[in-house]
Amino acid sequence: MRTKLFALLVVASILLAACASAATQAPTSQPPAAPVKETVVVKQTEIVQQTQIVEKVVEVTPTPGPNPEAVIDGVEPNAELTMWTFWLSPTFDDYIKSTIARFEQAYPGVTVKWEDHQATFLDDYRNAFAAGNAPDVANLSDTEGWVREFAQKGLLFNLSDNLPQSVIDQYYPGLFNLQLVDGKSYQVPWYQAVAVELINKQLYEEKAGLKADEFPTNFDAFPELCQTIKAKTGTLCDLRIAYTDILRDMAYQGGVDVYDPATKKFTFDSPEGVAWLQMYVDMAKAGTIDRNALLQEDRVGLDLFTSGRAAFYQTGPQLIREVRSNNPGMYGYLAVQPAPVGKSGALSPTSMAMSIKADTKYPKAAMALAVFMTNPQSQLEFSKIVGIYPSTPASYEDSFFTQVPVAIEDQARPIAKDIISKQADIVPEYPSPADVNEIVKKAVESALYNNVPAQKALSDAVTEANTLISQ
Amino acid sequence: MEHVQTARIPAVRVHRKTKRRNFGEKLFWYVVLILVSIGTVFPFLWIFLTAFKGPLDAVYSTPPQFIPHDPTLDNFVRVWQQLPIGNFFLNTILVAVCTTGLSVLITALAAYPFAKMKFQGRNALFYMLLATLIVPVQLTYIPSFVLAVRFFHYYNSIVALILPNIASVFNIFLLRQAFSSVPDDLIDAARMDGANELRIWWSILLPVIRPSLAAVAIFTFVTSWNDFLWPSLMLPTMANKTLPVGLAALQGMFSSDFRGTAAGVTMTVIPIMIFFILLQKQFIQGLTGAVKG
Amino acid sequence: MTKKLSLTPYLFLTPALLIIAVFVLYPILAVFYYSFTEYDIVTAPRWVGLANYQHLLQDPTFWLALRHSLIYLIVTPTLIILSILLAIAVNRNLPGIQVFRALYYLPAVSGSIAVGITWRWLFDTQGGLLNGMLIWLGVLKEPVQWLSEPAFTLPIAMLLTIWMGVGYYMVIFLAGLQNIPEELYDAAMIDGCNDWQKHWYVSLPGLRPQITFVAVISSLAALKVFDEIYVLTLRSGGILDSGVTMVFMLWKEAFRLSHAGYASAIALVLLAITLVFSVMNIRLQERDAGA
Repeated sequence: MRTKLFALLVVASILLAACASAATQAPTSQPPAAPVKETVVVKQTEIVQQTQIVEKVVEVTPTPGPNPEAVIDGVEPNAELTMWTFWLSPTFDDYIKSTIARFEQAYPGVTVKWEDHQATFLDDYRNAFAAGNAPDVANLSDTEGWVREFAQKGLLFNLSDNLPQSVIDQYYPGLFNLQLVDGKSYQVPWYQAVAVELINKQLYEEKAGLKADEFPTNFDAFPELCQTIKAKTGTLCDLRIAYTDILRDMAYQGGVDVYDPATKKFTFDSPEGVAWLQMYVDMAKAGTIDRNALLQEDRVGLDLFTSGRAAFYQTGPQLIREVRSNNPGMYGYLAVQPAPVGKSGALSPTSMAMSIKADTKYPKAAMALAVFMTNPQSQLEFSKIVGIYPSTPASYEDSFFTQVPVAIEDQARPIAKDIISKQADIVPEYPSPADVNEIVKKAVESALYNNVPAQKALSDAVTEANTLISQ
Repeated sequence: MEHVQTARIPAVRVHRKTKRRNFGEKLFWYVVLILVSIGTVFPFLWIFLTAFKGPLDAVYSTPPQFIPHDPTLDNFVRVWQQLPIGNFFLNTILVAVCTTGLSVLITALAAYPFAKMKFQGRNALFYMLLATLIVPVQLTYIPSFVLAVRFFHYYNSIVALILPNIASVFNIFLLRQAFSSVPDDLIDAARMDGANELRIWWSILLPVIRPSLAAVAIFTFVTSWNDFLWPSLMLPTMANKTLPVGLAALQGMFSSDFRGTAAGVTMTVIPIMIFFILLQKQFIQGLTGAVKG
Repeated sequence: MTKKLSLTPYLFLTPALLIIAVFVLYPILAVFYYSFTEYDIVTAPRWVGLANYQHLLQDPTFWLALRHSLIYLIVTPTLIILSILLAIAVNRNLPGIQVFRALYYLPAVSGSIAVGITWRWLFDTQGGLLNGMLIWLGVLKEPVQWLSEPAFTLPIAMLLTIWMGVGYYMVIFLAGLQNIPEELYDAAMIDGCNDWQKHWYVSLPGLRPQITFVAVISSLAALKVFDEIYVLTLRSGGILDSGVTMVFMLWKEAFRLSHAGYASAIALVLLAITLVFSVMNIRLQERDAGA
């Protein structure tokens, strides 16, 4: 009887194992691994008396001459890399796959497994580190402050110290030196977006009676603009604060000095800071901005615009493709204007980057991949299929960038090089950016929606943030 | 007692009423019932209809337009292309079936001794198990997460969704009730015939409590199907996600594409609705029997 | 009954006990330990003693979350009342009654995410059905930003929970109603009770075990609510944290801000609260049963 019970337990565990193996064999779409070519060097042999039947097929491959794109030496043989990109699938499947194929040719023996993550990218990336299986190479956003967050925890690979200088020089220095931690860079800049203002001519010109090409060039004009728009069209302003790095927006838009590296204290409750916040507070009170889009992901604000419920939206021209796919009719009455510049006089870089995890098993291969995806050739090809711009000066020498653009999403092309070459990080580095941002976000929300005076909200936040980083 | 009886509805005893009053009362109740059903069904109806609306149909308008004038299947196609809905279904079905099968097995095994055997520590153990019902399951997620990634190494695998959920104390409780109401003579007779406990459990008791098993199975299936938080923590790769997690991803991708979102929700909700409608009698029956005590 | 000491009962129990030990008992101990540490799950935990609890006491967000979770309990009596009414309504022999019962149950099986997304649509500011209908009927002049108004976040989530739960608990009460002996109703009728008094004096007392059961289950579920908040606030918790409940805060602290130690402290507080509630509910039942 006990044996029968035991047998039952065995059956149960077999069932469990069956479920487990069925589960692990559940469809996980992986691209087929590239065949590994074995290079065997055949030495000259002496003449053998007996004839032997050679069963193994040996391919003698001459050592490849230097592939111009293979700039990293000493790449680990048969390295298997994983790479994550952010919101690029399925639209850019072909581009990414073909670039990976080119990479695998430049560095034979190295294979790349590619995954794309969307809205939950940041959470997935964090959890992957916890799980111990973070991707070797990841497409992180400089703009959202992700690189710094992970670099400060020591999770990213130091690229300033490990890349050859010739490779570093292929990028614009202002962009390579984004998100520095202790003066070192942990990312290579990838594609850049030039922020533009997308304008819905139906709402903006026809209903509100404004002229698209007279769109404000700075933020001071916004409160009145939004008032007019609400009155004439009944829609609300679709403004967005980068809610994962509010201090950055404060610095660029409001010209605020947010942190003093000398005293190691926050200073964003200055009059400039208060003025920046007050502008939004006034608009919130007047009910002229859409609350939902203000402190949410970019996609929410974009979708508000694409569905025709906002008069304008600031984003990268490459996202016009989203407009085209979601609301093709709107494409006909779209206008593009340069984005307004904040008090700092600088446009914040809207930059995507590639970073490598610190404990990667294949540092050389990972560097090779990151550099390959971001090299001038790859970036040029990317620019040709969508309105983004390279971070590598060499790309701009192609005639593609001097052509006169026709399509609306390409309007920024002739001036892109000028803008991008001047972009730089004006926000100093400070510790615990994620936690500090939580504090600032709560302060901003309490001022916007809870009638806390802007000065008080910011001053309290400064005190709290200073306490946090002094621990 | 009678577990295999269909749920009988005691007729409301009606004194001699005139036919007209009887009809009036029936009508009243029908109206009430229909009004309530509008409340529960209406949002789904709206979303199902929106899923079929073509680009020319206004999704938001005053007055709201319900019937699509330009019906199309494009929304479904679009969602299907953007997200691996097929994978979501496959994963969810696999998880639900495995969890249900193993859970029913294991909890039925555990419930039998509590109901029909005397042994050392029976009551203490039972109350301890009941006490665990108080523990919010989300509390266990942090250590379970660490276990999943460090010890069991099944992060990003659907095994992570199955293993923690196959010993539901709730099920043990329900099945214990079911076993308790089986008359002892049935068991004593079998024991006297020399059958061992496992034999009794398998051949005699399980068939008798079949309705309760069915109810527990359906309940576990639906709970597993709709579980969200733990799967969202364990399944970062799109192709491995289950339906609820995939739906949440869909919400992120299509946040203003009403039609697409509606199509996605429709595709994922209709199968479980059909499943339930087909099996509702068994479920309600079993739940009835279980809550009796 | 086998009286001899045998291993049989224990063997039957082993698989279940093993799973429960690993996935329920061990986590409780682990969470207890983590609550005294600073832990980001990636690196090893760092002992900080009572620092997490001290921070908890001073953290306004925590008290807000606690308040929200307690407010959420309003769902329980609401659900009990509505479900009983519904059960009474469907407890009759009308043709097609099975169809109605199934229809009322549909929200309960559809899953909180699907339902949550549907409701987000309903309440959408410029595209939502609610605003559309209210404006068409002339009740509103301009659309209300339902989901962006901090005061509405929690009520909308609670409405969602009620909507989903009503069919589920209706079935439980229906089963309970059908177990009440006919004779009691007959006796009430003879005493001259009309329909509503009949229910007050016979049905309600007869449903006491079910009411207790539903009260415990529903209040525990209310304290643990998460999915609705996640979907309705697009993972943010609402403006001014207006939708943040204990579990939401737990999730956010552990898995978005990498403060698993702090989250563990929150989890233990939640456990204490659920313990108190369960004990209260059971005491009430014992007192009623004794009376």
